[in-house]
Amino acid sequence: MFKLPSRREFLHVGFCGGVGLSLGQFFKMRQAQAEIKQYENFEGTAKSVIFIYLPGGMAHQESFDPKPYAPVEYRGPMNSIDTNVPGIRLNEKLAQTAQVADKITFCRSMTHGEAAHERGTHNMFTGYRPSPALKFPSMGSVITHEFEPRNNIPQYVCIPNQPNEFAGTGYLSSSFAPFSLGADPAAQGFTVRDLTLPNGVDDGRFSRRRNILDAVNDHFTTKEKADSIDAVDTFYQRAYNLVSSQQAREAFNIEAEEAAVRDQYGRNQAGARMLLARRLVEAGARFVTLTYGSWDMHDNIHGGINNQLPAFDQAYASLIRDLDQRGLLQSTMVVVASEFGRTPKINGTAGRDHWPKVFSVAMAGGGIKGGMTYGSSNATASEPEDNPLNVEDWASTIYHCLGVVSDKELMAPGDRPIEIVDGGKVRQDLLA
Amino acid sequence: MNYKRILILLCGLSFTFTSLLADEPAAPATEEAKPAEAKPAEPQPTPEAKPEEKPAEKPAEPAPVAPSEVKIFPPNVSLTTARDRQSVIVQAIYPDGITRDVTSEAKWTLANTELANFENFTLSPKADGETELTAEFAGLAVKAPVKIEKATEDRAISFKLDVMPVFMKGGCNTGSCHGAARGKDGFRLSLFGFDPNGDHFRLTHEISTRRINLAQPDRSLLVEKSIGTVPHTGGKRFTTESELNQTLIRWLEAGANNDPGEVPAVTSVELYPPAAVMDGEGSTQKLTVRANYADGTNRDVTHLAYFISANETSAEVSQEGEVTAGTRGEAFIMARFETHTVGSHFIVLPKGLQYEAPELAVNNYIDEHVNNKLKKLRIFPSELCTDEEFLRRVYLDIVGKLPTVAEYNNFIASDDPNKRAAVIDELLERKEFVEIWVMKWAELLQIRTIPNNVTYKSMLRYYDWLQSRIASNTPIDQMTRELLSANGGTFANAATNYYQAEQDTLKTAENVAQVFMGMRIQCAQCHNHPFDRWTMNDYYQFSAFFSQIGRKGGEDPRELIIYNAGGGEVKHPVTGQVMAPKFLGGATPDVAGKDRREVLANWLASPENPYFAKNLVNIVWAHFLGRGIIHEVDDVRVSNPPVNPELLDDMAQRFTEYNYDFKKLVRDICNSRTYQLATATNDSNKLDGTNFSHAALRRLRAEVMLDCISTVTETKNKFQGLPNGARAVQIADGNTSTYFLTTFGRAKRETVCACEVSVEPNLSQALHLINGETSNQKIQEGKLVEKRLAEGVSPQDVVTELYIRTLTRKPTDKEIAFLNEQIAAGGAPQQVLEDIFWALLNSREFLFNH
Repeated sequence: MFKLPSRREFLHVGFCGGVGLSLGQFFKMRQAQAEIKQYENFEGTAKSVIFIYLPGGMAHQESFDPKPYAPVEYRGPMNSIDTNVPGIRLNEKLAQTAQVADKITFCRSMTHGEAAHERGTHNMFTGYRPSPALKFPSMGSVITHEFEPRNNIPQYVCIPNQPNEFAGTGYLSSSFAPFSLGADPAAQGFTVRDLTLPNGVDDGRFSRRRNILDAVNDHFTTKEKADSIDAVDTFYQRAYNLVSSQQAREAFNIEAEEAAVRDQYGRNQAGARMLLARRLVEAGARFVTLTYGSWDMHDNIHGGINNQLPAFDQAYASLIRDLDQRGLLQSTMVVVASEFGRTPKINGTAGRDHWPKVFSVAMAGGGIKGGMTYGSSNATASEPEDNPLNVEDWASTIYHCLGVVSDKELMAPGDRPIEIVDGGKVRQDLLA
Repeated sequence: MNYKRILILLCGLSFTFTSLLADEPAAPATEEAKPAEAKPAEPQPTPEAKPEEKPAEKPAEPAPVAPSEVKIFPPNVSLTTARDRQSVIVQAIYPDGITRDVTSEAKWTLANTELANFENFTLSPKADGETELTAEFAGLAVKAPVKIEKATEDRAISFKLDVMPVFMKGGCNTGSCHGAARGKDGFRLSLFGFDPNGDHFRLTHEISTRRINLAQPDRSLLVEKSIGTVPHTGGKRFTTESELNQTLIRWLEAGANNDPGEVPAVTSVELYPPAAVMDGEGSTQKLTVRANYADGTNRDVTHLAYFISANETSAEVSQEGEVTAGTRGEAFIMARFETHTVGSHFIVLPKGLQYEAPELAVNNYIDEHVNNKLKKLRIFPSELCTDEEFLRRVYLDIVGKLPTVAEYNNFIASDDPNKRAAVIDELLERKEFVEIWVMKWAELLQIRTIPNNVTYKSMLRYYDWLQSRIASNTPIDQMTRELLSANGGTFANAATNYYQAEQDTLKTAENVAQVFMGMRIQCAQCHNHPFDRWTMNDYYQFSAFFSQIGRKGGEDPRELIIYNAGGGEVKHPVTGQVMAPKFLGGATPDVAGKDRREVLANWLASPENPYFAKNLVNIVWAHFLGRGIIHEVDDVRVSNPPVNPELLDDMAQRFTEYNYDFKKLVRDICNSRTYQLATATNDSNKLDGTNFSHAALRRLRAEVMLDCISTVTETKNKFQGLPNGARAVQIADGNTSTYFLTTFGRAKRETVCACEVSVEPNLSQALHLINGETSNQKIQEGKLVEKRLAEGVSPQDVVTELYIRTLTRKPTDKEIAFLNEQIAAGGAPQQVLEDIFWALLNSREFLFNH
């Protein structure tokens, strides 16, 4: 399965700037493939990932890792509740999530060293520490690179928009960029633009248009060769596929969902985004990234959590339950993450500040065990205690469930093989 | 794990040099992985090699001709105190530009062996005096004067001069190790050594007796961890016998003291050789690094410098300072010592490449510089582009529009040999030229509304100010001075808006450095810049120019009044010292009783500031060529050098002499043959993306694309605050956008970063042009096809017109034949023609400037 070349053979590959892969480099890459660490992708337990990202740094204490026995300045102003798994307690505003806790693993020992938003965000989207020497691709883009589209649905979709620059393609060609909806599914009259042919253009006329376009392009593309042209070509092909598939387009139509289901998820940003994410993975999307809320609660954390967590709770619990009922939870991994946690002690403005040393992520489905906690933080939620979970191992575990060996190398510009994740190990204890 | 370590260390470095990839995959070049078919002839002595003993390095192939010059580095040697020494290298330069390291092949003679030792190509002192070292190779001799002082005196070990460099070379104080903000495994060093006193404290006093052991220096934890005799997460950093370890032990034996008082600062670092052109994979070149100190002494710091290659595919550098050539390409080899990073330019050519420098046509000085570089790389530039390509390119670049049918016909029909220059002159006088640059400046100056801060009126006044300056072709230095030293109300003197949108002192300083000098100094806010010369002192001293900006409300609540408060200081966060304003890389001016911003502006926008003109020239160049001579344009730093420094220097020099007249600069660029090259490549330049040997394909930026679609379809757009039919490039506010503009990557002007403008394709763009209103509705709305048919124009002539409007060319015979078929087969000609129109707007040829 894996031909191990002399590791030395490519130690000297160069650092080169720029993004994307030029055509020359692409051919070069083809030749060099024999030299880089290659693994075959395999049938993973997860067919899709729904990546729920809570930007700003959600407090682990006020969500998945309450410390009810810590002194009040650590414990914070909020209470915790029991779940349907004995011994696991969650924040009081996660009442519905508490009822599906048996489907979820709460990783309470996530840790990295980046206390700035953008750097922490980079870690959680790419599995790498930031390095301006190289732009790393997001997990979604890597998955787009590794697999073919299913049912003409874009493989990697961002709801409502690409949330940050690290959710993009990094050193990979821009052909692997996410598809951004461009509108919030919670908005009245939400539609994804430009999915259907304009008035007056039927399939026949559209195919004539395409024929003419091919003829016009032919002149130019025979004399010009560039990565940027290839990327445009790729997107046109994807667009044609999407436009010509009724089924694929319907996945974006949240109106087609029953009113009861919409109510159950909640007719708000959290609910609509998670419901649409379910429709998309059901239709064949592989990696759906959605964001919800703003969690940078330096001040008044009690108020902030009260404002935002209930809607998240309702939508998230509905999503887990809904996926489970449809038999999709087994093949869909739902990940909840944030760039870091928040300081152990409540600060002078009744909030908490940035804290990457330990925080929590929640994982469910797609081959992840349910009904447990993985790792733990210490009594004041300030350091990992058991099984510290680093970004590399966490990302490798997600890739593993999707059927990708994260030690595989992709070619970055300058003929430089880069592991999908550098040195990550799959955490077997997380796997069902 | 070498490359991993470098990868981590290199945080902060983005690279300019793209390797010029050869046709074969990179072959291994490390010692352990020699190519299986290593040349059997390897052990043969080369003809030039002296019969004396053979050094254990790969022999170079015999050079077919004698060298034209031999150089010795460093060109002079001075040894001070007993432990001083200096390694020397000799480089032979051949008539074809190839260089070879002939240090070990040269015949060395030291005139007076009583004064110094010469061993392993290294001089060390014996007695005071002056002598001369001679190296002879292939009949050419080269001499270096040698001066020895205090030969018997031992310089006391110094914490800052000797021990701190050990942490840098050992990789101890990098961001991934003890240099992290919280340290590593309980021990912290300042990142890249920005705080030596703090480091001394942490080593000696933080956990008393833990890290050092003065009774048994070699049992100090510091030593044992470094040499790996006790478990260390970072592993073994160096050996017991290494000089690095000996330095630590000597310092411990001497009592582990900090330096009393000031130590001489490093004033500069020299890296030799300054350039090399290497002949084929496997050739090597030794480096030598010398640091100069404020007290006039210098030291060989080759063993203490950290070496980095910007392109390891082409040239790998070992931490011992030896460069090994890889695949064809160029690489900037850097040595970092203390806060200084210096570089040397290396070119690697395929072994024995046959090349004859061609006679290249030249339009102006720009082409000479570009061609000189291409000759060094053995690259032939592409052909000149066609008249049609030129016309489309120059219209899009200078005025952001496509030529009309009449303009196209006139230009193509003209037999004036100077018609290209004429059209450039004509376009430079158009108001659209001004609008393009107002838009670009508005991005740099972040002209936009900000809720609860910058109102629409303020923003508009600011935009108008900028517009009037560019429209009157105000010299850029004058505009810059006016902007940075502005005082008054944001309505009355709109330039003051610069200080309304950004009110943070440090951020303002960062923005000024990035926009007007092209430098990102942000790193130095918290630690010395790892890959540039900027220290925390530089950062805070530069910021001090913006510490006395007074702000108060005006009569109109929307107005802010900016004035010189005359008080307010910036303090160094580590030492707490008040920082005196100092120009970045310049002098410390007298600011007593003056408006600090005015003092800064007068220096910034003057030839005294070596970066001002170069930065502007680079920004303009990147607009027309698709890539800066320094790339990215706002990432100027020592470790990101210009690909063609001579070109940049010359243009900057001329731009200064032009009194910063922007039009003259643009005229030079557009008239150069380099700008007018075709995109089509040849075998030698097809992989070159950095040296301007062919034109680059550039997707049209969002505003220009929308304007072009609107013009060719004869439709109008309505943007907030502008009359119906205004162009997208005229939008004043960064926050005014449309779906089209956002989807195609218009800058929101939230930061000064040049990266805000995106020309990357995505699925939404494709869907929008296929199904969206910007193509379909505009074709309908403009009724162009309908009108032409009503005027009695034949469908074939309509097709020709559509082609000229969108692609600035006529359809080819093949296209005509195909389209006629479509017209004949389809029903209503209008519908077919509109489909052709749709296809033209969706074509790759339309999306790109080429």
